[in-house]
This record gives sequence, structure tokens and C-alpha cells, in this order.
Amino acid sequence: MSADVAAWKARVPRAFGPTPRGRALRWLGAAAFLAWLGALLWWFDASPWRLWNGLDKLGVIVRQMVPPSPGEHWDAILQGLAESVAMAFLGSTLAVLIAFPLGFLGANNVVVNALAHFSIRRVFDLGRGMDQLVWALAFVRAVGLGPLAGVLAIAAAEVAVLAKLFAEAIENADARQTEAVRAVGGRRILAIRFGLLPQVFPVMLAQYLYQIESNTRSASILGVVGAGGIGLQIAERIRVRYWDEVAFIILLILATVAVIDTLSAWVRRRLIGG
Amino acid sequence: MQDATLSLRGLTRRFGETLAVDDVSLEVPAGQMLGIIGRSGAGKSTLLRMVNRLLEPSAGTIRFGGTDVTALRGRALRDWRASCAMVFQQFNLIPRLDVLTNVLVGRLNRRGTLSSLLGLFSEEERAEALAILERFDLLETALMRAGQASGGQQQRVAICRALMQRPRLVLADEPIASLDPRNAQVVMDALRRINREDGLTVLCNLHHLDTARAYCDRIVAMREGRFVFDGPPAALTPERVREVYGVSEEEFHAAPQGSLAVA
Repeated sequence: MSADVAAWKARVPRAFGPTPRGRALRWLGAAAFLAWLGALLWWFDASPWRLWNGLDKLGVIVRQMVPPSPGEHWDAILQGLAESVAMAFLGSTLAVLIAFPLGFLGANNVVVNALAHFSIRRVFDLGRGMDQLVWALAFVRAVGLGPLAGVLAIAAAEVAVLAKLFAEAIENADARQTEAVRAVGGRRILAIRFGLLPQVFPVMLAQYLYQIESNTRSASILGVVGAGGIGLQIAERIRVRYWDEVAFIILLILATVAVIDTLSAWVRRRLIGG
Repeated sequence: MQDATLSLRGLTRRFGETLAVDDVSLEVPAGQMLGIIGRSGAGKSTLLRMVNRLLEPSAGTIRFGGTDVTALRGRALRDWRASCAMVFQQFNLIPRLDVLTNVLVGRLNRRGTLSSLLGLFSEEERAEALAILERFDLLETALMRAGQASGGQQQRVAICRALMQRPRLVLADEPIASLDPRNAQVVMDALRRINREDGLTVLCNLHHLDTARAYCDRIVAMREGRFVFDGPPAALTPERVREVYGVSEEEFHAAPQGSLAVA
């Protein structure tokens, strides 16, 4: 057998692993990656000692969180939570409506011109470059404190993200289905409607539902900068170290997200099946 | 060598109200090349898939030599699957992996899980896979992504993967239904080769009678989940076809509407 192996090794060396050069390059790559990780940790002074100390203080906070308590302002908490959910729903819906056409514009199998495709994609990048929180600060200045600023911040931040995801889903779609619609003599717009949309609709819907869930969670931070929602309640309680009430609110958010998740799973099953 | 007869007794499979396979019994002696014919929906696929237990029988038993296959669980069941290799209509290769690795996948049942997860196939295994590939004229594709090989090549790679399992029998489910006539012939030749040269029992679902007549030692014909014919190819005359299916051979081959659905 071993003579056999040697013969095969001589005939098809690449079937037995990378060339010495390739192997050396892999090791070099891995070493460079590890060195880079190490350097970054060193830069931020992430010593085990500091982490251990931090853990200690974190433990204090966790102890203060138990047992969670609603405190005396039930109504404010519930109102904040309702506001957050509403903000997430409105913001995500707005974002999807705007991102829907943009997604098609950003897909290179719809807008075939390379320059146009490149420019549109860079605009998406610009949009993604600004975080939700920055948008929120801007909109609080523009339309004043409150949930409207939050809705606009969510929408603005998610439009570019969704547009990119939609565009990628469209680009990954199976071209044979559009080909079939063109082959029956359909216009391009109809080829998109019947050959492309049915393929990407499930992705879009799933993204939309996920955004509602995810934005409910992130809406909790928008309140910190005055853009409405439960975040304000959290920030106030952290300031005065009412960690038990903070824990209660966090649990409430978790429960809410779980409910949204269940609902969206049901919607997904009904609309796309499986 | 131990007895290697495959015997099915009263094998039945229900899907809801429909009886896909209805009380079927069959003895396949070791080394036979058996063609199972029938139109789409006759229960051929269901039958084969029950033999390697990808589908559970609703009733009946499958025995191989002294083993009751229907009773196998866990490790023993996986061992059984390794020893009855499956060749699928759509090849079921992993297109993004290279051809060599696809063939090596055939050995997974006999290897340690951890080294397999890390893709650490031994040099002996690699050499064996290369030798199998060479035997079927596929050596030059060994390092190519499987998805880039032609349909006929892919099906032969699938047969190589089956051989890598060191099987006792091979189950081929419509192996040439997705291929052009030329590639179909190459693939059927390969199946007959492993039957003749390696002494493997081959069960092959086909829906072209001529292919079955040309390649098989014995033919069973299925209709609505039951066997309606069992005999040597020469006995399956056009008259006999008309008798068991109620249609002429041309009409048998003319696919009815919607028959592309896998049976």
C-alpha cells in the first residue's frame, strides 16, 4: 500500500495537501492574523488583570439587579415600551418602503451599467456609515425631542442596510427564472415582477420582520439621547443606580422581543410557508 | 463469505392515505444486477429508499444475509447505510467541494468523527480515492470543484463515492434520468462494471425498458406499488408490457402530464 501511496503522491501531489510554498503562506497568514489580534488587545490594555477587576464590579451590579422590581412607575415603563415597539414598527416599515426600490436599483442584474451600479452602491455605503444614534441626535435637533425623532432615526439608518441586503438577495437570484419570462416575450419590468420578485420576496419579508424585532431592542437606546421610547426610563434608573428596576425593564424588553419573534414566525409561515 | 442475499418480505409504505409500496416481497441474490422499472409514481424510489432506511417501512421486513435491517438503530444503521451505497438521480454531490473530497466523503462512516470534521483524510484514503477516480477516467477532474464537472462526470463521481464506501450493494435511483443518451450509456456501463468486476449487487430504478433490458440480469416491474412482473429481460416482451401495464411500450415511455415529480 505505501508504495502505492508514494506513486500517487508523485503523480498527483496536490491531492495530498498544499505545496510547501502554499503551506508556508498559510502559516504566515495565520501568524500575522494572531499577531494583529494580540497587538489590538495590547493597544486597549486588555490585560487579564483588568478583566478580572471589571468582572468583580459587574458582579456587584448583577447582585443589585436581583430581584428585579418594577418600582413605582409602572405606567411610565409600559408607556415607554409601547413607544419603543411603535417606533420600531413605524421606522422599519418606512425603511422597507424606501429600500424596496433602492434594492432593485442597487442590483447589478437590474441596473446593468457598471458605473451606475458602483455609484448607487457607494451611496448605500455612505448611508450605512452613519449609526442610528448619530441619526437620532440629528433628528432630535431637527424635529425636537420625542418618538418621531426616533422613528426617523431608525428609518434613516436601516434604509441603507436594507437596500444593500435587498440588492444582494436580488443579485443572488436564479437568472433562469427571469430568462423564462423574457423568453415568453415579457417586458423587463415584468421579468422582474414574475421572475425575480417571487424569489426575493421571502428574503425581504424575513428582513422586514427581523428589523422590527431588532429595532425594538435598539429603540431602547434611542431614548437615552431623547428620541423617545423605553431608553429614557433605563437611562434615568441607571443614573440613580436603581439596578433592580433596570433589570425589570430589560426582562420586559426580552419578553416583548420574544412575543414579536413568535408573531413574525407565524407571519412568515403564513406568507412564505416553511 | 457470509450470505449476502437481500430479501424483502411484505414491505409496505403508506403516505397518508396512499399506498406507495404495497406488500412487496423480493429475493435478490448476491451479485445480481436488478432493474426495477415502472412509471413515475409506481413506488420505485420509495422502495429503494426503504432498503437503505432513508425512509421507514410502514410494515414488512428487510433482511440482508443474517441481519434484520429493519431493526437496526444508531451505529448499526449507519454501518448498514455505508454498506448499501446510494446513487441518486440528481447526483447529490457537494458542488463546492472538489471531486476528490466528494469521493472521500464515501469513507466517512469508517473514520473518526474529529479527524473527519477537520478534513484530515489519510494518504492511503487519498490514494484509494484517486485510484477509483482513475478507474472511471475521472483522474483529471480530481481537484476540480464537483459543480464544474459535466452531468455525466458528476454521476460517475457519485459512483466513485459509492465505491469508496466499500459497499455490499449499490442502490441507484433513476441514475440516468438527468443525463443525455451518451452520458446515460457511460453511467450505465460504469454501474455494470462495478456489478461484474467488484461483484456488487446492484438495484437500479429505471424508466426506460430498453436500458433495463440491455443492462440487467433480471427485471421487476412495478405498478401502483406492487410487482407486476419478475423475470429475465428476454421475458419482458412488448406483449408482456401491454399485458402488465395495459399500454404499448411507446405509450409506456410517453411521460404523462406532471410525471416529472419524483416518485
